[in-house]
Order: sequence, then structure tokens, then C-alpha cells
Amino acid sequence: MTSTQTRLRDVKRPRVVRIVTLLCTLVTVWHIFATFLWISPPTQIRTLVPGNLLTSYMIPFFGQSWSVFAPEPINGDLILKVRAEVEKDGKLSTTDWVDATAVELAMSHHNLFPPRAANLGTQQAMEYKNSFDALTPAQQRVAGLGYYKGTDWEKRLSTSITNLAATPAAKTYLEKERHTLAYATQVARAVWGKDVVHVQFQASRQNVIPFAERNNPEAKKPALQIVNTGWRGTYEYPQQDEGAFADVFLPALKDVTGK
Amino acid sequence: MSSTESTPTVLGRVRNVVSAIFRDVPKALAVTVLAFLTWLEGWLLNSKKATYGVAVARIGLSIAALGILASNFSTRLYTWGAGGAWSGDVANPRADFPHIWFLSAFQLVRESPVAFTILYLFVGVLAVLVLVGYRVRIVMPIFLILWISLVELQTMIGDQGDNMFRIAFIALLFTDAGKRWSFDARRRARRETRGSLFVRAWRGSRILPKWSTNLSHNLAVIALACQICMVYVSGALFKSGGLPWQNGYAIYAPLHTQRFGTWPELSTLFTTWGPLVAALSVGSVLFQVIFAGALLNKWTRRMVLLAMLSFHAGIGLLMGLPWFSLTMVAVDAIFIRDTTWAGLVQWVKTKSRERRLIEDSVDIPQRREAAPEPVEEPEPQLVP
Repeated sequence: MTSTQTRLRDVKRPRVVRIVTLLCTLVTVWHIFATFLWISPPTQIRTLVPGNLLTSYMIPFFGQSWSVFAPEPINGDLILKVRAEVEKDGKLSTTDWVDATAVELAMSHHNLFPPRAANLGTQQAMEYKNSFDALTPAQQRVAGLGYYKGTDWEKRLSTSITNLAATPAAKTYLEKERHTLAYATQVARAVWGKDVVHVQFQASRQNVIPFAERNNPEAKKPALQIVNTGWRGTYEYPQQDEGAFADVFLPALKDVTGK
Repeated sequence: MSSTESTPTVLGRVRNVVSAIFRDVPKALAVTVLAFLTWLEGWLLNSKKATYGVAVARIGLSIAALGILASNFSTRLYTWGAGGAWSGDVANPRADFPHIWFLSAFQLVRESPVAFTILYLFVGVLAVLVLVGYRVRIVMPIFLILWISLVELQTMIGDQGDNMFRIAFIALLFTDAGKRWSFDARRRARRETRGSLFVRAWRGSRILPKWSTNLSHNLAVIALACQICMVYVSGALFKSGGLPWQNGYAIYAPLHTQRFGTWPELSTLFTTWGPLVAALSVGSVLFQVIFAGALLNKWTRRMVLLAMLSFHAGIGLLMGLPWFSLTMVAVDAIFIRDTTWAGLVQWVKTKSRERRLIEDSVDIPQRREAAPEPVEEPEPQLVP
């Protein structure tokens, strides 16, 4: 008993060493506690941390989320198809659909070290579809209409959607639509060139064959859940480098179609 | 008769015991707490723990970084540069990092393919320097700053491996990550430099007193160990709420999506036989949930670390996430004790010497067991 008590006293450490050790240990304990609160689902323990301290400590450097593939892992594919109206000699013609997600994903198939580029379209399709699903049925019908005439089509579309319900979901949708359209414009220009005047994209989701049916050769994938978006004018961000997009997309397209 | 006589004695005994409890238990508690603090103080200040594990984490993370840089090189402008401006991120990045001035280097050069590529290659050079442990005290912070600046340009296609990489690497900055298996270690072993602060920093010589660097190293190792445990255990708990995990078929669906089924033939191979699907699904939850507790015993620790290694090998190969997997495996290395790593080094040295002697067809002199690399303390167990 006394031997242990004297041991701590026997270990001669300057007071400053002990104070620094204590302070650094307390900082570490706080860090671990904050990480614990951040990683776990929110509980009342979080109220022990005053105000916004937890978020401002964790974000951005210790930002993380480990509910990956939980509670239910992803069970379907997101698909983004693009087609265009091309003007040649004053005549408009409609192209076939190009499955942009399939083109990108081909870069990762049978590849031990897939590039992240393979998932861009898939992720965009998911974000777009989620934002579409959050719209009201009336807004979804508007999104399905064509907006491409004149130069103010984007403004007209935005007004039509927000007039029905000026919700955060509507704002998110318009933002996701602009990004998806900008992506579709790049795909269209890469594939059909400068003559593209209008584009249309179609996001859809198709779930995998259910687990119970996996060994049944007759089994078919569940039906496509299609999001219909109308025709749009083209949209390009001023920072966009078309060549850098086409340099990756076209070779991948060639791999898929052989053309 | 006898019972009435003995009653006061029993009561007296009980009273004695109760008063002894009130007298001795607090004392015993105080002694225990004091003993623990003494032990903890020694553990934190006397030597660095998990020095090989930290070196393996440094090496593994730098290989993951090089892997990410290499596998995305031909598509770098499409993913992060001006080819991907359609996502609106070039105009206004969604992530917080590119808005922080010291993490904005790649954001600044994003629209220039040449400058972007030069900086991209420079990060690759820094990753090689981290890998070989060249002046890590200076190189590692610069590498991390540029690394975050690059991978956080496009959060759409990032994964949790990026977060683990960043958090683990921040922890490594507080450790002596160049102590083992590095050019820094060789230089330090040759000579201890005196001179200005900059000279000592450059040559990797001591700047701060030993106790303070031990403290910083060990606390960082503890923080990283807790981080990893929380990631695994929480991952399991989040999964356990889902029917596909409970019913043992959760790994099936992702392996049959286009995105996470990069080898469709292997996906079919691993998901055709139901019991295997169930074993892998349920097994991954169970091993994750017992992770922290299993570390406490030598045999369960080996078992759970091997299980996580296989789990990540599976994810890396079957789901097309090799660099995520390598990141996770690299940080798990801190749970392997220094004596184990040192033993491994010794084994490799002995074997290579034997081979050399045989190849040279020289008479094998009486083999002397080389002294094992010094491990500073006989109790390098990471988890207290």
C-alpha cells in the first residue's frame, strides 16, 4: 500500500512535466470523447457538450460517417442516359440514347485499381433522382416538360417549379438538375459534337435480382424506375474544359460500343 | 441459550466488517487509482509504443496515396480538374476544405491542366518520400496539406477511406513516424546533430525533450487506436439494425450492382452458395462488433486482426475499393506489438543471411543469432 504511494512520489518528475502530461492527456480524452459522440447515433450525451462545440471541433478535419452499407446496403444500379437534338443543314434530328453511366463504369470493370471517374455519372444520377423524388407530384410533372426555347428557359423552369412550392427540396432539385444537365451537355458534345442544340437526360434505377431468386436462370431484374425529365437547352459552366471531358469519355465509349 | 449469547457477537462482527469496509475500501481504491496513474504516467512518458505499427501505417497510407494518384492519373482532369466543372465544384466547391486557404492549392490550379498536373506529380513525389521515411517531420505535414487539397476537390466520388486517411494521418503527425524503417532512422542512428532549430528539424535530430515526444507519440497512438475501434464497432452496430444483415444476405446485393461488382464473375462465385453469403455477412458484423474487446488478449487479437485483413482484402478485390481497404489495413497495423514486428524483422534477416551464405557457397560459419533490434520496453502492449 505505502510502497505504491511512495512509488509515484519516488518517480522524480518536474512539476512542469506532470502538468503538461495532464493537459495533453485531457485534450486527448476530449478528442476521443468528441469522436465517440460524432460517430455514434445522436443521444442525450451530446447535450453535455455546450452549443455548437462538437460540430465546430469535428468539422471539417474529423468529419466521418461509418453507417456505410447500413442498415441496408445498396441494392440497385443508377443509370443516366443522354440523347440530343442535333442541327445539321438547318434540320433537327434526334440521336439515340447513350448510357453514360455504363460508359464510365466500363473503366472499373475487370480493373483491380478502378479510377474514381467511373462513378461520377452514377453518383450524379443518384443525387438527381433523390432530389426529383423529393418534389411534389405537380413539380415532378413540370420537370418532365420541355424547357429549351429562347434564352430564358432556365428561368421559366425555375419559376414554374418554385411557384408550385418554394421548398428547400425545390431549390435542391434545381441545383441537381443544373449539374446533371451540365454533365449531359458534356456527354452530348463529346459524342455528337458542336451541333448539339438541345439535350435530354433520363435518370433511372434498377434493382438487382432479389437474393432468393439469384440462382434462378429465368429470373429477371425488377422493373426500371424511370425519372422523366423534359428536353432542355444546353448548359455549360464557364470553367468547363470540354476537351478534358471528351478525352476520357470517348475512349471509354469506344471500349463499350466498339465504335 | 447459546444463540442468545452469540447474537451480540454476530452483530459485533458485522459492525466490525462494516466499519472496516468504510475504512479500508476507500484506501484500497485510492491505492489502486494511484497505482494506475503511476503506471499510466510511465507508459506515456518512458518510451514510445507501437513504433513499428506506426511505421507500417505511414508506409501503408503512402502506398494507398500513390495508388490513388496512379489509378486516377489518366482521368485526373475529368475527375478533379476542369473536365469535371459540370458538377459546379470548380466554381464553388461543396466541401469545406477547398475554402480553407492553406488547403486550397489544388483549387487554385484546378482550371490549368499543366499546373494541376505538376502539383499532382509533386504530391506523388512527396508520397514516395513519406513511404521511404525521408525527413518525415517536414515532408508529412506538407504532403497531408496537399493531399487533402486534392482529394476533397470532388466529394461526390470520395469514400470513407478518405476520411480515415486524413484522420489517421493527422494522428501520425504527432507520432515519431520516422523512427522505424526509414531514411530518417538510418540518419539518426549515424549521428545526433547539434545546430539551429532548422538544421535539427531538417536532419531529424532531437528538438524537444524525450518525455514530451514520447507523450505526444503515445497519446496519438491511443487516439488512433480508439478511432479505429469506434469505426469498427459502430459500423457493426449500424449494420445490425438492417434486415439484410440480420438475415445474412447483405453482401449479395452490392456485389451485383455495377458500381460495387467490378468482377461480376467473382461476385457470382461468392454469392451462389447461400451459407457462404450468410457466413460472410454475419461474420463481418460479428468480427466488427467484437473488435475492441478482442484486442485485449493475444489470441483473440490475432484472430480479429486476421479477420479484418481478410474482410478488407475481400472489399478491396471484389468491390473495387483497393485503396480504401489498404488504408484500413494500414492503420490496423498499430495493433501488432513491437516485439512481434521486431521478431519478424529478425526472422527475415536470419533467413536472408542463410540464403546468402548458401548462395555464396561459403562454409557457413558458426551462426550467431544477431541481437534483435532494440525494443525499448518489455511491455509494449498497446491497449492498457
